[in-house]
Amino acid sequence: MSNGALIVLMGGSFLLLGYLGVPVAFAIIAGVLLATAFTPVSFDSIVGQLFHGIDAETLLAIPFFLLVGELMTSADVTQRMIRLAQAMVGHLRGGLAQVVTLFSMFFAGISGSSAADVAVLARTVAPEMDKEGYDRSFTAALIASASTIANLIPPSIMAVVYGATGNVSIGGLFLGGIVPGVLIGIGLMVYSYFFGPVGKLKPRATYTELFSAARGSALPMVIPLIIMGGILTGAFTPTEAGMVAAVYILVILIPALRPTHIRDLPRDFMYTGLVYALPLSAVAAASAFGWMLAYLRGPDTVAGAIKAFAGTDPVLIMLLLVVLFIIVGDFVDAVPAIIIFMPIVNALTELGDIKPVHMGVVLVTTLAFGLITPPYGLSLLISAKFVGVPFGKAMVRSLPLYVVFLGTILFCVFFPEVVLFLPKWLLPESVGCFKSPTGPGYICPP
Amino acid sequence: MTDAAKIPAHRWLVIPKHRHLKWPALDPLEAALMVGCGICMSGFTACVFFDVVTRELRMPWLWLQQFTTGFFAWGVFIGMAAATRRLDHIYLAEITRHMKGTRRLVIETLNRLVVLAVALVMVWFGTRIAIVDMGQFRMPSLIPMTAYTAAVPFAGALVALFAIEQLVNGWRNGFEGPEDNEYMGEAPE
Repeated sequence: MSNGALIVLMGGSFLLLGYLGVPVAFAIIAGVLLATAFTPVSFDSIVGQLFHGIDAETLLAIPFFLLVGELMTSADVTQRMIRLAQAMVGHLRGGLAQVVTLFSMFFAGISGSSAADVAVLARTVAPEMDKEGYDRSFTAALIASASTIANLIPPSIMAVVYGATGNVSIGGLFLGGIVPGVLIGIGLMVYSYFFGPVGKLKPRATYTELFSAARGSALPMVIPLIIMGGILTGAFTPTEAGMVAAVYILVILIPALRPTHIRDLPRDFMYTGLVYALPLSAVAAASAFGWMLAYLRGPDTVAGAIKAFAGTDPVLIMLLLVVLFIIVGDFVDAVPAIIIFMPIVNALTELGDIKPVHMGVVLVTTLAFGLITPPYGLSLLISAKFVGVPFGKAMVRSLPLYVVFLGTILFCVFFPEVVLFLPKWLLPESVGCFKSPTGPGYICPP
Repeated sequence: MTDAAKIPAHRWLVIPKHRHLKWPALDPLEAALMVGCGICMSGFTACVFFDVVTRELRMPWLWLQQFTTGFFAWGVFIGMAAATRRLDHIYLAEITRHMKGTRRLVIETLNRLVVLAVALVMVWFGTRIAIVDMGQFRMPSLIPMTAYTAAVPFAGALVALFAIEQLVNGWRNGFEGPEDNEYMGEAPE
């Protein structure tokens, strides 16, 4: 059987089994084993790859970013951040819709998980939106769309996986993700203001109320500073920064704000232990898939096809990859998609002489968009379920919001200097700059 | 309201869902796996914490990094097994939830057989790898590689057991259950 046929067999059987209801990790492994049976590669190599796929130091950050989100959510500390968002934007037209987006931007700086964001908002703000007469489909669509920001504003689990598998600076990806994260947030707020339901108009919060809300949420809002501060000063790796944030919540935040929650901590650890295994077992399986794909020379074939169409034009290469990842993101979970396609992405990044951080930010943004597109729009699925509205209705209501995402993706493709501004300024090495041998400062290749 | 009633179902040691697909005799095993997940997560957190502290004190305990990796890897594979019993994995689609009768029986059976086949491959080839790894060690702790790679066949054996449990009970009681009307999986309720 030719390599192309084996790749089709491997990918096709994964998708077929996945859509029949086999868990993603097992569907991927089954597809790989099926293709391996027609090659000289031994099953030992594939099974060995399951372990080696997760034996990467950088992936250790994922459990911590999930733990931070879980601790904040289960201890109900997030309520204070919602109150701050209400004091800041609750008086605007579509006040609660603005609160949803602003809170998601705050929460994104603490947790890397969209699911946690959806859970918090669906439990707290969605019932209020219901009372104020917001259309439930709109509520579900907005919560799902806003929750994708968690994958862009650091810490982002997608960025960690991308950095770990693609050997790209995770700090650089974190900083680069701020631009699309903020753009999507602003876009959603502007959409809600002009085109969303009006909601109940409320008076603007007084300075005293604003100060009180800011003071109440001061302790949780330190977490993004710990994470990014630790990484940018070089004091911690992303894993260590995640751990320090978790310890901060355990030692300072929960005892100060929610001491009764301490007895529930063992359960938080058990549940996070289970939750982090879900994406990482998909990572283990996908790394075997990626390994087999590389063995079958899949990256060379796809890169060759894209090269024939786009030449070495970086913009065209990126646009083709965006289209590819929009399609992939519709059907496959983001984490395995990143790992499976990483060899192809690396080959094309090199071909177009694109900065790896720029490519990473564009593709992570594209995959974040995949969280609200059918049929596998995970955030929208969860949000629709929590808000209590059929998935189809929520999907239709989210269609206008796609413009915000597509606009942001295109902006990131065409304006790399804006995306790379923060990484170049704060973490120059992450974008290929090096210290000037003749004096202070950095030299950055064009 | 009791404490247990206040805790959302997805956070229980034994998830109170899909009971028609489960043997109560295996409930303690599910609980033990959840405790295992907690131990791995806590151990992993403690190891990274002490790694940073000892490094800052300029007395690094280099072996801590190997323990960190061990907790992490075992956590992934124990969690993989626990998620199989709790039907908590990431799924691309849940088409079977809308099916009934023979069609549902056939597809659910096929799904479990695929999981079972993958689990048996993990057990057989994972054991071979673990045996070979007995002669390889991680520096500087000199922990045999087997201590890490044994997680694969261990998880494979548990996944196989849970797949068989669901197959037998599905055939006996049917795969349809009260959970069919809700979105299942990775989301907390």
